[in-house]
Amino acid sequence: MLHIADKSFSSRLLLGSGKFANPGLMQQAIQASGCQLVTLALKRLQWEQPQDDLLNPLREMNIQLLPNTSGAKTAKEAIFAAELAREALQTNWLKLEIHPDPRYLMPDPIETLLAAEQLVKLGFVVLPYCSADPVLCKRLEQVGCAAVMPLGAAIGSNQGLQTRAMLEIIIEQATVPVIIDAGLGAPSHAAAAMELGASAVLVNTAIAASQDPVAMASAFAQSVSAGRTAYNAGLATTQPHATASSPLTDFLAAL
Amino acid sequence: MHISINDVRYPLDSAITVEQLLKQHAPEHTGLAVAINNTVLAKRLWPQYQLQPDDAVQLFQIVTGG
Repeated sequence: MLHIADKSFSSRLLLGSGKFANPGLMQQAIQASGCQLVTLALKRLQWEQPQDDLLNPLREMNIQLLPNTSGAKTAKEAIFAAELAREALQTNWLKLEIHPDPRYLMPDPIETLLAAEQLVKLGFVVLPYCSADPVLCKRLEQVGCAAVMPLGAAIGSNQGLQTRAMLEIIIEQATVPVIIDAGLGAPSHAAAAMELGASAVLVNTAIAASQDPVAMASAFAQSVSAGRTAYNAGLATTQPHATASSPLTDFLAAL
Repeated sequence: MHISINDVRYPLDSAITVEQLLKQHAPEHTGLAVAINNTVLAKRLWPQYQLQPDDAVQLFQIVTGG
């Protein structure tokens, strides 16, 4: 089970709800993934446009909704977005993300730490999206974040575990769940993250932008499960040279 | 009196609450949040808060996102 704050989840796969062709497809993918935590975002209301009913189907599926603060460029903006999200969804769970740079969407570590500290004091369950920096992750943990969400690679880049060496340190040191977020582009990336000992992964683009999001969601679910099972089983150690798997006896020497 | 909603100025014939405003302008929308003059207004206060002249109302909605 994945334990975050006061809740437990049987699935270790979190899904982002963005980029799906339509809400129906998103719901099918969520169902196929078996995930229990789904991220959402905020924007200014456009009441002239009809709105698809996004929330009720998710609530009927008993999904824990995790609003994010995407669009915030500073701690002040993120706190404002967090308060809006809390009222919009009536939840104090929050994926904190602050990325002022539109090209690489790298999270701002200083603003993220400042915002996290304030939001925890305001009673939020804070899950910060952050760079794969072991020192920062430790600081986020120390100010009371319920988990840390270091990036594998840039958001939506599908490049996989570019930060692997740092993630290993973060996982080794963490006493809160480590959720690898961003950049996971293939089920094998998710499996690799889980084999490292990650508590969970969050995937969006790789599923939503696939040709068959429902099948891809299922593939990610299987890979997360396989990776976790492998981690629990204990991976064999790597060796710099060959080690024989069959007996190297001299039984053919007489020929 | 006038108020602004998401930076657009609107006339109001009479004083109304935020809840009434939302019923008029966004009756079908779910997952809404409101800020008045850059301060978030708790949902429980929507039925009580009477809009004042020149209030800057910002309306937000939950959408999909990663």
